[in-house]
Amino acid sequence: MKGWIPFKIMIYVIMVMMIAPILTCLPVALTTTGYMTFPPVGFTLKWFYMAFVDNVLMTTLFRSFNLAILSSLGSVAIALFSCFAIERSQFPGKNMIETFFTGPRIIPQIIFVLGLMILYELMGLSDTFAGLFFSHLIIAMPFAFRTLLSNVISLDRRLEWSAQILGANNVQTFFRITLPQMKTGMIAAFIFTFVLSFNNVTMALFLSGVGKRTLPVEMFQRLMVGGITPSIPAISFALAVFGLVLFIVADKLVGVYRYMAG
Amino acid sequence: MNEKRRRLQMLTSQTQWLILISPGILLLVFFFVLPMVKLLQMSFMEYDRLTLYKVVFTWENYGKFFGDPYFIEMIFNSLKVGFYTTFFSLLIGYHVAYYLTRIRGIERTILTAAFLLPIFVTILVTTLGWYIIFLPFGIIQNLLQFLGLHEGPLRWIQNISVLVAVLTHLHIPYVVLILVASIQDVSQEKLDAAKILGASTFHVFQKVVIPLTVPGIVSAGILTFTDSISSYLVPALITGHKISLMPLSIFSYTSELMNWPFASAIAILLLVITFVITYGVIVLTNRMIGRGKWEMV
Repeated sequence: MKGWIPFKIMIYVIMVMMIAPILTCLPVALTTTGYMTFPPVGFTLKWFYMAFVDNVLMTTLFRSFNLAILSSLGSVAIALFSCFAIERSQFPGKNMIETFFTGPRIIPQIIFVLGLMILYELMGLSDTFAGLFFSHLIIAMPFAFRTLLSNVISLDRRLEWSAQILGANNVQTFFRITLPQMKTGMIAAFIFTFVLSFNNVTMALFLSGVGKRTLPVEMFQRLMVGGITPSIPAISFALAVFGLVLFIVADKLVGVYRYMAG
Repeated sequence: MNEKRRRLQMLTSQTQWLILISPGILLLVFFFVLPMVKLLQMSFMEYDRLTLYKVVFTWENYGKFFGDPYFIEMIFNSLKVGFYTTFFSLLIGYHVAYYLTRIRGIERTILTAAFLLPIFVTILVTTLGWYIIFLPFGIIQNLLQFLGLHEGPLRWIQNISVLVAVLTHLHIPYVVLILVASIQDVSQEKLDAAKILGASTFHVFQKVVIPLTVPGIVSAGILTFTDSISSYLVPALITGHKISLMPLSIFSYTSELMNWPFASAIAILLLVITFVITYGVIVLTNRMIGRGKWEMV
């Protein structure tokens, strides 16, 4: 095909530019100097170790991880209940309720978070873990909802009816027949809401108190203050590897295009 | 008797669904509707140095905003950043997405991983990479020095082009994700039909593929625009306060100057601008291509 080869080269150049900033972190983290420099001087794994023994980084990492697990589990559970309720029942204004459930994601986060901040001030939730948790829950829920709703709609009802004719009660049918069919959708929703929450910065930047930062916020603060040591590129590279693992798992299990683009 | 029983049964089944949906509704009412109402209220209150705000009704915050040319310029800066980022992300993203749908096997897996990986990594990692590349004594400078093109420390580039470049880079993965799904949905029969009727590859692309993927382009565009116009982190790290932008102002009025009423007014205006443009684009494309509604991302 005419013009295909230059097109291919262009795409590969763009690809290199896409991952270059992420890969830059590795060589910079391997330097023996106490500041970030490129090309790196010498070779040492010291900064990976330094990041690992950095108490603040590890505490914030642990907090981010907890927060992401809790909010993704919570949002998948709430979204699952809501999807069944909306799909399996009849009531006027069903479409409006559906739109309402996906609402939070069309509001830019910097605007949304300001509203939450004002509300938390009144409710006494400022700078608390609970406040942060609810903020992550509300931004993750619409994504879980969209993924699971398409899943619930595509369920084969005949399997459930057969089970009930054969004598299964509602609870048995749900756990033995319905839920196994939704496994992929639920895994997809879980992974994507986890990523969303774990990587979120805007919400956490406004809502987490000084001593209760999440890892991305801690990294952001250090970058803003300046004069950072190569342990930040080291932890960045570790996070990139973690992201790659999540991507591979998500793609192998459910296929990223199928579940994320909706 | 039978009729009564059936009605009771229906009632219990309705209550059952109501119980199931209530956690979601409660969450949305408390943490989505209520904050937005509070934000709107706050934008009409008066700033007070001691108590943060005074409960009154005033248009003063909006008056202050529109009365100052600095803030008017800020709106235009934000719009400029949003439009340029959307344009370049779509331009590059469409080419990449088209290429990705035309390849198979291991090449597709590797390219998909490279283009979508940034979604799975926190944006700070990517921004840190850019930071290292552009920093004084960073990669760019060393490269220029090595080639003999530049001597001595480089001035840190902090203009709107760099900001748009970094934001475009960050949004390409999302655009690719949406557009690949959209281009994949174009059926092979339609492409074959166009080819049989004598269209060249370029013509097929121009007259068949692009028109059929307009919904995908629009939703990717809206996502990029909304996201880049309201991005705080990237401008804060890349350009600092060299360029006045609405999200930067929202943050500094909230956290540094503690003037919440004014910050709320800026936030409400940003929301209105985003909604008006989003709605306008949807109405316009609907009219142009004469199709039904599609789901917004």
